[in-house]
Amino acid sequence: MIHASTVALLLGAGTVAGLDLSSGPQVLLNRPLVVGTAAGLLLGDPWSGLLVGSVLELFALEVLPVGAARYPDHGPGTVGAVLAVAIAGPHELWRGVLVGLLAALAGGWSLRWMRRAGATRVARASAALQALEPGILGRLQAAGFRSDLARSAVLTTIGLGLGFAVRFVGPFPPSWNPSLNAVALGAAGGAALNGAIRNAGRGRRLAALGAGLAAGTLWAVLG
Amino acid sequence: MKPEIRTLARLLVVQASWNYERMSGLGLGHAAEPLLQDLDRSDPARHADALHRAAGFFNSHPYLAGVAVGAEVRAEYDGIPGGQIERLRAALCSPLGALGDQLFWAGAWPAAIGAALIAVALGAGWWAPGAAVTAMLATRLYVTRWALRTGLRSGMQVGVALQRTRLRPLVNPLGLAAALAVGAAVPLVIRAGLGAPRAFAAGLTVLVAAAGIAAGQWLGPRTTGIRFGLAALVATLVVRLVLR
Repeated sequence: MIHASTVALLLGAGTVAGLDLSSGPQVLLNRPLVVGTAAGLLLGDPWSGLLVGSVLELFALEVLPVGAARYPDHGPGTVGAVLAVAIAGPHELWRGVLVGLLAALAGGWSLRWMRRAGATRVARASAALQALEPGILGRLQAAGFRSDLARSAVLTTIGLGLGFAVRFVGPFPPSWNPSLNAVALGAAGGAALNGAIRNAGRGRRLAALGAGLAAGTLWAVLG
Repeated sequence: MKPEIRTLARLLVVQASWNYERMSGLGLGHAAEPLLQDLDRSDPARHADALHRAAGFFNSHPYLAGVAVGAEVRAEYDGIPGGQIERLRAALCSPLGALGDQLFWAGAWPAAIGAALIAVALGAGWWAPGAAVTAMLATRLYVTRWALRTGLRSGMQVGVALQRTRLRPLVNPLGLAAALAVGAAVPLVIRAGLGAPRAFAAGLTVLVAAAGIAAGQWLGPRTTGIRFGLAALVATLVVRLVLR
């Protein structure tokens, strides 16, 4: 049983995460690892938070907000993903990944919607901007911030809804979990490496990526 | 509150009204407002023009936007013709964007996150992501203040100041650290997620990861990890249901 105050705190954590990505200050509060950790602590299940956050972080590392890249918003949905795994248990990690990915897709659409809405708002205020009415810049900034706040809160709510609802997918035999978790983890690893290969280009960075991968694999196998 | 402090606070949310028309221009104008107050008292006409210029189209990296705000404000107080200030502003977009992207988005961010992932996979608790956030918050505050002061000090000479900055030599080491950390984090996170190692699950993970990389590299940017991951999970469920 999850208390209403915990749900409210989760909603707050997801909303802060969404704001950090778009409005600012862009200090990693949007990253799934950070949001997942916070959600896990709020739910009294830190391990699930760290685990789900780490796996979704691998997906998030694929697209960094470099240049004019279109990127999803992984932060708010991570809260729902952790909730799903906190309810189902860490052996059903794939349910959390499913929730996190669906919410991240919705997050990408919500960013594009918000930016189009921002352009409309600026167009409507063009006369006030031309005349430079007192406080117009502050009002437009505040309106943008409110729009982002609403977007982040709605996205977190969607994530939490999916987190509660995903337990109704199935039930499936427990013997299916290892293969489903393996698929989720493999897709996450592939996504992170795809992004890292693109960012590394050719040369020393690609060599560093290969060296890191080799060292990590050795550690994972022997450790 | 001092105008510089207000400008710094506003620079932390410079992208709040980011839009496809002016990009972060309105945020820049809003951030420049407190520093231009004195100009309003001495030359109201110039102040109005200066605010118009400050709120025009601009796009760069949010951490370094303060360089443009500072340089523009200094140039306005120096009485530089408006056309020259607009050209300076346009000229700053790409270099500040490129430097910020390389330093922070492709360098410090993945390096910090990669290190935190490694620490978590090796058993660290919540403090590892907490340390990454604290480090990035400290970096953000320091860089934002440095950027504004560099702009205010240099004015129209800000290009020279940027070429001499100590930030530029950090691009390569941070990029290498990011590649190394992310590369090492991937297998360690997978190992932690798999729990007790089973040959079948480990083999399936490697197979799916290889397929994901191949899809991403050869099928183009529309085949994102999210889409691939969702498709792979649904396909696995369908296969298991059919074989039940």
